Amino acid sequence: MRGQVVTRGSLVLALAVVLQYAILVRISFRGSHADFMVLLPFGAGYVAGPERGAAFGFVSGLVADLFLPTPFGMSALVGCLVGYLSGMAASGLVRPAWWVPLFGGVGATAISLGLYAMLGYVLGQPAMLDHDLFPALAVALPASFVLALPAVRLVSWALRPAGRTRPSFAEPAR
Amino acid sequence: MLLVLASITIITLDFRGDTSGVIPALRSTAEDAFSPIRSAVDAAVDPVAGFLAGAANAGALERENALLRAENGALRRDAIQVAATRARMAAISALDHLPWAGSLARVDAEVVAANSSNFASTIVIDKGTSQGVAVGMPVVAGAGLVGRVVQAWSTGSTVSLITSTSSQVGVTLGAKGSLALAAGQGRSRSLQVDYVAPGTRLHKGEVLFTSGLQGGTYPPGIPVAFVRSFSASGSSTQENVAAEPEVDLAGLQYVSVIEWEPSP
Repeated sequence: MRGQVVTRGSLVLALAVVLQYAILVRISFRGSHADFMVLLPFGAGYVAGPERGAAFGFVSGLVADLFLPTPFGMSALVGCLVGYLSGMAASGLVRPAWWVPLFGGVGATAISLGLYAMLGYVLGQPAMLDHDLFPALAVALPASFVLALPAVRLVSWALRPAGRTRPSFAEPAR
Repeated sequence: MLLVLASITIITLDFRGDTSGVIPALRSTAEDAFSPIRSAVDAAVDPVAGFLAGAANAGALERENALLRAENGALRRDAIQVAATRARMAAISALDHLPWAGSLARVDAEVVAANSSNFASTIVIDKGTSQGVAVGMPVVAGAGLVGRVVQAWSTGSTVSLITSTSSQVGVTLGAKGSLALAAGQGRSRSLQVDYVAPGTRLHKGEVLFTSGLQGGTYPPGIPVAFVRSFSASGSSTQENVAAEPEVDLAGLQYVSVIEWEPSP
């Protein structure tokens, strides 16, 4: 079971890296682009709960940090916080509608980019908050509206319990 | 909580540079592994992108256009340098222990990706350590300075642009060659030129060149930016100078890495 999750999780991360850094970065508007990587912690928290969400968010953040010029560990910190918060929020849902993960993904993207910019501000990069954040939000939020459901479905496939026959993207952790 | 603490520890170690090269090595390994995938995706996506751009032969025209722009930029850079160098040659010749950018070897490279993060001004080029590129080397395009290499792996490198908020370039300006510092203010924003004394004679369009100082980060003589505006209030201790990069950093396709490493 654990091996299966690790294998599937690794596959999902590899696919996400290719999607993000080979395709999505090419589709930019005024230098900003969609961010699929920030949707993975949200998906993990949503389908697997706060603790596994934080763990998957941490790992996916570390992987993202390998390809980013910003200080190593920033994405990991944001990922584990967003994964945990998403899991906490989802655990309060009894019977969510199909659009809940969609809007949740958009909200998680906003929180992730905001946290990231604030961390940059703390680390001596004020332009990340003053200048880069709003253009990034303007492009990444609409894109997350499209990418949230695929991200949740992918993470659900990677982290689903043994014996479950189909992804439970509409079913949050309880 | 444990993961948060682990993240903060990693950030702190990386920020302080206490990782003994482990993190740069990890990043280089990841980029090495990813480069073939990026190349394959580029090969698959480029024709589609070219088609969507509007014309059947858009790919060839884009390439030809980029080469012509690079050539035009190189000619423009030469013209700028000739005009400025006549006045400065005597002083530069006297400083023969300083390398002049025009005489240094270069590695030509193609830009394969831009801005991997929404919060950084970087490009990725297709030449790396196996072609002689090393961290710290300056990168130029047609008309002037682009930035410097901040990460290099065997088949590629990441270049931090001069508009990056972490970028500070020592420059000379004015008829007297006054020293100043051109600081990046973020993507698609003007550079802020600091330490320009009030009353310094400036004019719009004046070209700023690398000074070769600022800790020896760049060799002297590379055009960096041109003055877009300047002003000084009565109580100000320096002129407020804004400068635009000589190079169109948003449309980079080909660049040259100058084989010059900063002094330790």
